[in-house]
Amino acid sequence: MDKAITVNHLVKNFEVTEKKPGLFGSFKSLISPTRKTVRALKNISFVIQPGELVGFIGPNGAGKTTTLKILSGLLYPTSGFTQVLDFDPWEKKPEFLKQISLVMGQKNQLWWDLPAIETFELNRAIYDIGKKDYEESLAELVELLDVGKILNIQVRRLSLGQRMRLELVAALLHKPKILFLDEPTIGLDLIGQQKIREFIYEYNRKNEATILLTSHNMDDLIDLARRVIVINEGKIIFDGALEDLVKRFAKEKIIKVTLSQEIDVKKLEEIGTIKKISFPQVTISVPRPATAVAAAELLQNFPVEDLTIEEVPIEEVIRKVFGSK
Amino acid sequence: MKKYFSIFKISFQQEFVYRINFIMWRVRNILQIFLIFFLWNAVFSQPGAVVFGYDRAKILTYVFGILVLRAIVFSARTVDVSGEISSGDLTNYLLKPISYFKYWFTRDLSSKALNLGFATVETTILFLILKPVFFLQTNPTLVLVFVISIFLAVFLYFHILFIVNLVAFWTPESGWAFQFLFMVIIAEFLSGGIFPLDILPLAFQKVVYLSPFPYVLFFPLQVYLGKIATSAILVGLITSGLWLVISNLILRYLWNKGLRRYEAVGR
Repeated sequence: MDKAITVNHLVKNFEVTEKKPGLFGSFKSLISPTRKTVRALKNISFVIQPGELVGFIGPNGAGKTTTLKILSGLLYPTSGFTQVLDFDPWEKKPEFLKQISLVMGQKNQLWWDLPAIETFELNRAIYDIGKKDYEESLAELVELLDVGKILNIQVRRLSLGQRMRLELVAALLHKPKILFLDEPTIGLDLIGQQKIREFIYEYNRKNEATILLTSHNMDDLIDLARRVIVINEGKIIFDGALEDLVKRFAKEKIIKVTLSQEIDVKKLEEIGTIKKISFPQVTISVPRPATAVAAAELLQNFPVEDLTIEEVPIEEVIRKVFGSK
Repeated sequence: MKKYFSIFKISFQQEFVYRINFIMWRVRNILQIFLIFFLWNAVFSQPGAVVFGYDRAKILTYVFGILVLRAIVFSARTVDVSGEISSGDLTNYLLKPISYFKYWFTRDLSSKALNLGFATVETTILFLILKPVFFLQTNPTLVLVFVISIFLAVFLYFHILFIVNLVAFWTPESGWAFQFLFMVIIAEFLSGGIFPLDILPLAFQKVVYLSPFPYVLFFPLQVYLGKIATSAILVGLITSGLWLVISNLILRYLWNKGLRRYEAVGR
């Protein structure tokens, strides 16, 4: 096996019934439903190597979750080729299912009315995990995710963040080689997000697991993904390193200067667009090729105490990419 | 096999979480029995009365038999399948190396075990309170056929109920309504759960006997009561066996079709 995931010319259409607003609309859709085809994925292709951690970026409805669902065998592709660990996901062979896991931030597999440990025991039986392996991986996951104290509490009584961490334990007990994470940090507070992120990073490194992750949270991607796939309206518009995404889509760089005395702001405008002034700090955006010249000019002609050159924040780049469509 | 034993255990625990629900459900069963018991007891108040081929002992045995058979055949968790399909919870199982049918059958078994346990206790208590005259089948062959027909009934009911639940793949919103109409009204009525089917017009009975429904309750009890001829027993066993094969084919077909439509919603 040289590739973990291969996707070739994948297309997925959904048939949906449209309903006009109001009571009359309900009647109308009952008698003669208007069917519409939604083209969720329009011919996408990519390859992922074993051990890669790849982030999927895109607005709501771009096709990220649909892709994950197809790769884990839940959805039947309309056309195209998908292969995960040499298996066709749709066939749902037990040997395939034992090597993957899909975690969705808004779906739970834990038995709601029972303590999480019961679900873990059940998963041990379902995935045929040996007693020793089970105890080892449970101990490790419990330690990493810090859930030792909540294992025996009814799941319904736990907070979202606690549940999410337990969900991860349940999904990883069988040590999947491929992990699909759909919005794993959704609804969590900053500390909760950070915990999950650190854990994902560790899991990827330790087990050489291939991880595919979707998120709206840019911090997730900045911290974790070396490679990102940007998807919009069912098409891949970028596939590569995160830094390249910025270089490709951000036509400008950011220069931040700290001034030692007050000056006429108008003069600064000749160098670039002023984005923010809160004296003594000024943020200027300059065209990428002119960065060096602009910086030199600033240092020469202005009372500069300190100067840094930065990339445009990734959120802004992403906003631009999707905004221009 | 071990995995299904674990499912049995966790499912059993789950039933205990909703104790009140369960107790209410049992109370409903007991009240129903009281109602039917006094109704028939009144009908057969004159000694030696025989109505529709039932004497007092046989009709009361029928009523009590229905209580126990219901616990065995009708206790099922499979009713939740349509909900899982429309809510997208089915996703959890599709991702696991596990057979969804066996999963639900195992959960049904745990529900049956629990209900049967309670039904046995209830029947004994009611028996002691009401002291009905009772019909005991002594022919070992008939008892054996009775047991076989119960097994057929359990499998057949599982298939029918599962098929009804799969409708949710096509109409996620109306899964419950469909199930209610089908299982509560048609299946209970045509299976003899409300009253013995042989009090119906003969022509109607013949048609009903061609359907799978009488074989989930009525037929096994008729065998026990010794109310049908050997030839009719054979025809009955073959008919229910055939329905089992047919419903299995339908179930597989619909499952494969439905999965392709499944959208794993909820996100």
